[in-house]
Amino acid sequence: MSPTHYPFLSIIILWPIFGAMATSLVSDIKLSKRIALGTAIIECILTLLVLGLFNSTEGNIYQLVEHYPWIPRLNIHYALGVDGISILFLPMTALLTLSAIIASWNSVQQLHRQHFALLLVLAGTTIGVFAAIDTMLFFLFWELTLPPFFFLMGLWGIGPKRRSAAMKYTLFMLFGGVPLLFGILILAMNHATAVNGPLPEALSFDLIKLLETPLADHLQLVVFSLFLLGFSAKAPLVPFHTWLPTATMEGPTQVTALLIGLKLGLYGILRLALPLAPEAAVQYSWALGILGAITLVYTGLIASQQTNLRRLLAYASISHVGLVLIGIASLTPQGLQGALFQLVNFTLISSSLMLIAGFIQHRLGSTETLHLGGLASVMPKLTCFYFLFMFASIALPGTSGFPAELLLIFGALNTHHSLGITALVGAVLSAAYMLAYSRRAFLGPVTRTAIHQLHDLRPREIGLLSVPALLIIILGFAPAVLLKVNETAIDAWLTHLLEPTKVERNEIAQLNKP
Amino acid sequence: MDNLVVLIPLLPFSAAVLVATGYITGYIKGEASESSTATIVNWAINMSCLLAFTLLGADLLHKNRGSLSLGSWLSSDDLNIEINFITHGFNVILAALFSLILSIILRFSVNYMHRETGFHRFFAIISLFAAAMLFLVLSGNALGSFFGWEIAGLCSYLLILYTYQRPSASVNATRVFITNRFGDIGFILGISLTVAWTGSANWLDLPRLAAELSTSEATAIALCFSLAAFTKSAQVPFTPWLARAMEGPTPSSTVFYGSVMISAGVYLVCMLEPIFEKAPFAMAVLIVIGAITAIHSYWVGLTQTDIKSSLAYATAGQLGLMFVECGLGYWSLAIWHLCAHAIVRCYSFLTAPSLMHSVKNNPIKPIHPAIAKIQWAYTASLQRFWLDQLADWMLVRPIRRLAHDLSYFDDHVVNHLMGIPTPTINAISSLAELEEKLLGAHPEHSQRPFTSGSGIAGKITSGFAGVVHWFEDRFILRGIGKDALHLGRQLGRIANKFELLVLRPRYLVLFILTTLLLAF
Repeated sequence: MSPTHYPFLSIIILWPIFGAMATSLVSDIKLSKRIALGTAIIECILTLLVLGLFNSTEGNIYQLVEHYPWIPRLNIHYALGVDGISILFLPMTALLTLSAIIASWNSVQQLHRQHFALLLVLAGTTIGVFAAIDTMLFFLFWELTLPPFFFLMGLWGIGPKRRSAAMKYTLFMLFGGVPLLFGILILAMNHATAVNGPLPEALSFDLIKLLETPLADHLQLVVFSLFLLGFSAKAPLVPFHTWLPTATMEGPTQVTALLIGLKLGLYGILRLALPLAPEAAVQYSWALGILGAITLVYTGLIASQQTNLRRLLAYASISHVGLVLIGIASLTPQGLQGALFQLVNFTLISSSLMLIAGFIQHRLGSTETLHLGGLASVMPKLTCFYFLFMFASIALPGTSGFPAELLLIFGALNTHHSLGITALVGAVLSAAYMLAYSRRAFLGPVTRTAIHQLHDLRPREIGLLSVPALLIIILGFAPAVLLKVNETAIDAWLTHLLEPTKVERNEIAQLNKP
Repeated sequence: MDNLVVLIPLLPFSAAVLVATGYITGYIKGEASESSTATIVNWAINMSCLLAFTLLGADLLHKNRGSLSLGSWLSSDDLNIEINFITHGFNVILAALFSLILSIILRFSVNYMHRETGFHRFFAIISLFAAAMLFLVLSGNALGSFFGWEIAGLCSYLLILYTYQRPSASVNATRVFITNRFGDIGFILGISLTVAWTGSANWLDLPRLAAELSTSEATAIALCFSLAAFTKSAQVPFTPWLARAMEGPTPSSTVFYGSVMISAGVYLVCMLEPIFEKAPFAMAVLIVIGAITAIHSYWVGLTQTDIKSSLAYATAGQLGLMFVECGLGYWSLAIWHLCAHAIVRCYSFLTAPSLMHSVKNNPIKPIHPAIAKIQWAYTASLQRFWLDQLADWMLVRPIRRLAHDLSYFDDHVVNHLMGIPTPTINAISSLAELEEKLLGAHPEHSQRPFTSGSGIAGKITSGFAGVVHWFEDRFILRGIGKDALHLGRQLGRIANKFELLVLRPRYLVLFILTTLLLAF
């Protein structure tokens, strides 16, 4: 039996959940922590194994597919599979979970077992979102990521309003879930009408089948806007972004690192919103681009007003979401590959910065500039890492931020000049707010006595940050490693989106000829 | 012989990585390791210098093929960017000259920086800078040059921050970096337009590709790259960053702002000669900006009281002249001027610390009394023509205020519109508040709303119910009286406030910019 017949994807979804059970059942805290750590390490290895099994030259078709009936009456299946677009998110999620577990090793003060168990559950469900190829299963995993976040934020948050922040987050996500579900149902009904079958049996939630079914013209815009509305809460896009700054201020930093590191909303836009309503997507790509531009500049300007590192990072990450959306809206291979690259960068760069903010918070009890200043002289190692990640986040050459932003800007300039120029202005803004904060917090003289007594990074923390740091530099010098993985998948994605319109155009041209 | 070119930037880069790793891991520390750091860095740069001269010799003997490609760095659909080098002509001459200057300055720094706390940091950064600069001049395509351009900018930032405990150093470094970031816009835009219109960003293909461009396209590309060149070479209106950058140690000032990095702008324009030749307007811009900078720098330089600032302005002025030469079409003159200036400026910067010795029997000549007596000219010169203040007034402050307004808007409007009603947990945040509540100290809350909702839909329903109730209560039941008048006045006040806010120049400018972008 060839190894591809093992249900690898199910294993990497279920393994952390089993690990979570074991973690929460063991009564010894030390042992349960170790179990959680072991589970996360093995999960990382498993996802890397899946990445190794994945054949990137055929990245346009789903691989490692598993297909079992789940609710046969409604034609809902338990279907998993990965293609060139989703494959990279699996190891990234596993890596980020591992980082979060190591980062919170000593900083959790109560309910240790539950904390680590919930982090593992979150990893399992998040990987489920990336691997599901049945829209109902996608929706299930999508909603299942909510409870772990709710409890993690509400129970272990560091701010006084953590419960309110957790509630705000959950309500926003539930609000996003409703249009999502409607969109999925409309698509399933559309399939039934398209094949002229009886209602419950002819429904389809299978992503591959839905992609092949043409969507009725009058439904295109409806489905597109429903999905966009649903995903914009999670992404987040202006004006649905207000939960993120609140969450970063109130939630524990290892959890907010997960929140800003895994951009499920953008993945959803890329996976469902655009390909399932292709005509509307092509027709309204300019609107998507403008939405991205507004998000980019608006939150970038607000970020320059922030005095707290965690809040600043929240706004900076929203601003980068806007940039990614501009790249997606360009509908060019460069823009889309840049967008996927940038999504990987979120995991490597933004979340590492958030973890560093967590280290400062853990030592000093604050990340407010008022309480900082001159950290560079006291914590040189932390400062080194911080500056490396900060330069990556403002896309300096030599870091992985540069090829990603270059591709995004290039893609945008190719289709809409003004969006490309806006993206460039965003690059200046991002340098301005990041450097201005760094100056106030890290440079200059040490003015507070508390800072003199700070400890620099411990070996555990250095080890934790070295992995993303190395990856950033490697990808900065050899971006082709990453671009090769999703090349064919992006080509197929674009052909699917643009081809029907091309055919139509040809038809019209032929009609006009005689 | 072409293959040697790879090692020229690679050696200093490896040295930088080696020293930095040693420094971070703690192997290289303090005065004891000074000699090992100095040996590593100096050997690397000396070897590169030797290689550069070998390459130059081979080129003069026509032994080089002219270019070397190492394969693709980044490819996505039709965008394909190679790692390639030029091993011919101007680029090799510049590489040889720059590596020579760098190796002299690094030798000078060994003694100059002796027993400084940041000795190892300084050497690691300056070695990285050497690699970046050599890559910038040897790279065979525009993106590779941008790579070197940016890393050189980063090193400049890090060396201005050499004494990062000083508040002025960190302020100046940030300002310099952000000013240069504007040039990066031009550079990236220029590269993107070149690739989009010609399909290649290789320097060697430019003469062939430029022929295909129309005048307007060539002008657009040339203007974008000029923006980049003007920021890097500190031309008007970007000149003030140069004086701010003088914060770093003297050897770094020499190499960055005296001879090597600052010339990168002129180098860029010279590389784009075929495109500029097709764009007369861009050539005119070069002449105008170059001439203005030359006059400005001469004028301001007259009143500088410290040697480094006056040298900075002298440099900016000379670069202005080089731009004028480029604009007039004397490209080879500009190249010779660039090389000669780099050598002279290197000498004058390195001797700056011992200025007192050199002027002892040779006093500086005062300027002509007729000019010295013009009051306004003196003030303008002292204030450096208010360029810094102008940038603050036109760009920094409006953007800061706009950001402040938006931040307020986000917290008070968007958050409330999108937010959920404050949960009950939040209502009582302290015991004192609970007590107040029990005593009934909040009479305004006594009148409870009839409905309460959560989420967007709930909020809308409850809000709508509240408005209808209020309308009925105040207007229909109590009659149109005081309340309506009060409300009208309040509305008027809000409208006035809004109008005042919108009429502020920053909003007008923002509005115009948005319209322009949309029309574009």
